[in-house]
Amino acid sequence: MSIGRDGIAGLILLAISLFLLFKSFQLPSLPIVPVGPGFYPAIVLSFMAAASALLVLQDLMKRRPAAAAGESDAPRRNYRLVVIAFAIVGAYVVLLPLVGFRVATVLFVGALQAALDRPRTVRQWGVLAAIALGTAVVSYFIFERYLLVLLPRGAWTGF
Amino acid sequence: MLDLLWNGLVNVAQWKYLLPLFAGTFIGVIGGSLPGVTITMTVIVVLPFTYGLDPLAGLAAMTGVYVGGSTGGLIACCLLGIPGSPASIATTFDGFPMARNGEPGRAIWLGVWASVWGGLLGALFLVFLTGPLAAIALEFGPWEYFSLFVLAMAMVAGLTESSLLKGLISTAIGLLITVVGHDPIGSVPRFTFGSAFIGGGFPFLPVLIGIFAFAQIMTDLEKLNSPRGQAVQSLVGIRLERFSHLKVNLEIFKQPFLLAWATIVGLIIGILPAIGGSASSVMAYDQAKKFSKTPERFGKGHPEGIIASEASNNANVSGSLMTIMAFGIPGDAVTAVMLGAMTIHGIQSGPLFISQNPDIAYGIYAAYILAHPCMLLICLALMPLMLRVTSVRMAVLAPVVLVLCVVGAYALNNTMQSVYVLLMFGVVGYVLVKLGFPLAPLILGLILGDQIEINLVRAIMTDGNPWLFLTRPISGLLLLAAAASVGLAIWQHWRHQARVAEEEPDF
Repeated sequence: MSIGRDGIAGLILLAISLFLLFKSFQLPSLPIVPVGPGFYPAIVLSFMAAASALLVLQDLMKRRPAAAAGESDAPRRNYRLVVIAFAIVGAYVVLLPLVGFRVATVLFVGALQAALDRPRTVRQWGVLAAIALGTAVVSYFIFERYLLVLLPRGAWTGF
Repeated sequence: MLDLLWNGLVNVAQWKYLLPLFAGTFIGVIGGSLPGVTITMTVIVVLPFTYGLDPLAGLAAMTGVYVGGSTGGLIACCLLGIPGSPASIATTFDGFPMARNGEPGRAIWLGVWASVWGGLLGALFLVFLTGPLAAIALEFGPWEYFSLFVLAMAMVAGLTESSLLKGLISTAIGLLITVVGHDPIGSVPRFTFGSAFIGGGFPFLPVLIGIFAFAQIMTDLEKLNSPRGQAVQSLVGIRLERFSHLKVNLEIFKQPFLLAWATIVGLIIGILPAIGGSASSVMAYDQAKKFSKTPERFGKGHPEGIIASEASNNANVSGSLMTIMAFGIPGDAVTAVMLGAMTIHGIQSGPLFISQNPDIAYGIYAAYILAHPCMLLICLALMPLMLRVTSVRMAVLAPVVLVLCVVGAYALNNTMQSVYVLLMFGVVGYVLVKLGFPLAPLILGLILGDQIEINLVRAIMTDGNPWLFLTRPISGLLLLAAAASVGLAIWQHWRHQARVAEEEPDF
């Protein structure tokens, strides 16, 4: 009997739900209302804990093939690209309040495009820069000027 | 009622509404035709643009996206054999073979015209049935609402393809997210751990956008440089053959029963909470095959398959709109975003929505009706352009979509906090997808969480007898249906397991 991916996910969710269930019992009760603030979360968390425990059990009882046969048939997934993309989005979110929407967006769109499909010629780099600049300028004009939707200002740049 | 509808049509025909409607429909058609970009994604992209618009203009744009997206998906279906959006999945079964038989134009236009007629038939139901449904909803007490929400969640979790348990856990995670923050009765902070960041709870739209958009984009990035990407490029050179629009329409109207039945199937699936267009498309296709005199021709380029699928997925839009307007429950993720947009503009959806906001309600009907001729015009005028647009690279699309997601989150209340929530739930959504947890039940839990709690507490505060949930007839019936839905899902799962065991004996 070995534990698989579902079992590990189930265990993590079980631990979270039991911890929060314990916390929900510590919530104060209200004087007039018949049910306290912890009543509904306790129902949700009990349900989640039970379902997670069942998922662990189901995973433990699952018959697993001896070898990971057929794995080579599965399409190859580019997880490296996903990690890079998340990192670039993270950097964008950090930069937004520092350098403002316009500068951060040019950098973000340019960086993500280059990461996903690296330009090889000067012309491709030009297209990349035009798209990055165009996205920032067009969205700035549409949102701030036309729709009057405010966009983040930069603490460093002042705009 | 017809006076109000006429006023709505005249109102929406003004430029300030017609332009957003047209733009929304255009973006919807484009978004729908891009493989890997769903209608939900497209409506999320359009969302920030609606913040600065008049409420009806914003809702008209979103309705346009919904209608346009439901049709746009068929282009990739017919030409590439890949559904442009999940709502068009069954169109692939016959649209692609018909296009490969040398009739891509006929395949696409059968779908477009079937969408128009199915959608307009659906509009009849939308206009005339939403009011009576809202009247029924007015009779609902907190017990019935609670049970209705439970039924919605049970149905969605039950429909999960991978695992019922994962569907149920996913629902619970969605409900749990709504619990964080102050409780609705006494404003007691729950699970905030003293943090000001989550003190007010997680704002609904950034969570929804984060979970949905990131999960989809990041999953698409995994597959970058796959053969599918190359297939998309091959659309550029395609030319549609000459054909007659009249003949295509005659072909559709030669089978009025098929058109009507596909519309009704789409409508019913749309009314059922949180079951999307893909289910309606597949179900209508299945029904068309069962009722057909020539079922053996299905899957080989049979027009009936295209008509059923496309009429149904557009009628599904009218069903979803009915649910949101009569009950205040989103029929699917697209209407969930619309509901969020309504909340931003201070509009309360639910049974009183039509009577309290007749201008907006009839404006939405009118926008839905007018979106169909708009969509037809766009397809007639811009089909060659759309064939080119479908070849836009993911490397260009992903950054632009992500920028709009960030704007959508930030502009909600002009704070970076919403953007941090967006990113946080983007990671959560992606991890859950990778672990095989379906997102539809989570989103439904997220949408309904607050309402479930409020109605549960309200019911208990009105009468402490918990048996009322079962003994009040409508509430009891709804809970019985919820139990039956879960029971059916378990039974289907066991039957599937047994069949697999028979097919693959353990030597």
